[in-house]
Amino acid sequence: MEVSEPVLLILLSLAGEPRHGYAILQDTERMSDGRVRLSTGTLYGALARLLDEKWIERFKGQDNSRGKQAYRLTAAGRRNLRMEVARLKHLTRVAALRVAREET
Amino acid sequence: MLAFYRALLRLYPAAYRWEFGGEMIEVLSEARLDIRKENLVTRMLFAAREGGGLLMGAFHEHLRSITGGYDNGIFSVRRLAMKSEFRFPKATVGLMVVILAAVMLTIEKARAISLSIPHANPPVGPIHPTQDMIVHALLAILSWAIGAGAIGWGILYALRRTGVQQLSQMKPATGQRPGK
Repeated sequence: MEVSEPVLLILLSLAGEPRHGYAILQDTERMSDGRVRLSTGTLYGALARLLDEKWIERFKGQDNSRGKQAYRLTAAGRRNLRMEVARLKHLTRVAALRVAREET
Repeated sequence: MLAFYRALLRLYPAAYRWEFGGEMIEVLSEARLDIRKENLVTRMLFAAREGGGLLMGAFHEHLRSITGGYDNGIFSVRRLAMKSEFRFPKATVGLMVVILAAVMLTIEKARAISLSIPHANPPVGPIHPTQDMIVHALLAILSWAIGAGAIGWGILYALRRTGVQQLSQMKPATGQRPGK
């Protein structure tokens, strides 16, 4: 599955703890310094896809009313997130080296 | 404003609405409460973003319901993949009957035209039996296709009634084994 920036931010938001939809929206905005503001439609499109791929699952928390469904990462989702973070680390390392080489 | 979002939510497929509609409205109401203290421009941008997001989301969900998956484009190989929740629309039977009737009508018309054209030379051999054979073969193929479709639909319907498609969603029991 292709991991776009919004999807990566959603996964990162769920990496710490299970969250509800609105908490995910706020967290993604906070993590990106206000640069990424997901709409509700985009968020639930991504959540539906992640549920379909079994990267996340519904979490039965304390407040589990219909409108307050929490989500958390599955083991597969956490593994894929680690791989994506490793890929990004490698990419930024290569990018830093290339940029430094051009500057010298 | 919430009524506007509810109206946009109606554009989503029913199954999606059933699964996420309540949550989405809850998120939209929370977001709307937070944005209320902002200035008019911010509120308008928020409304445009949410409205656009819902419209695009509805479009993508309908596209997904047609193509059968998320990780695909329009020409994906998975576009014809049958989903576990797949059901033939009720209109399929009507459509098949209409197609069959149209094919039979065309055959009859063609036969009538063929008989009305005067033949310059008398037919040499037994042509009529050959025409009948083609007509019968076409009818047999059509009947076979309709029959196979009906049987397939019946099997899928029966499987769905048994709930077999939910087996893949079952989680293993986490309770202790007896005797432990």
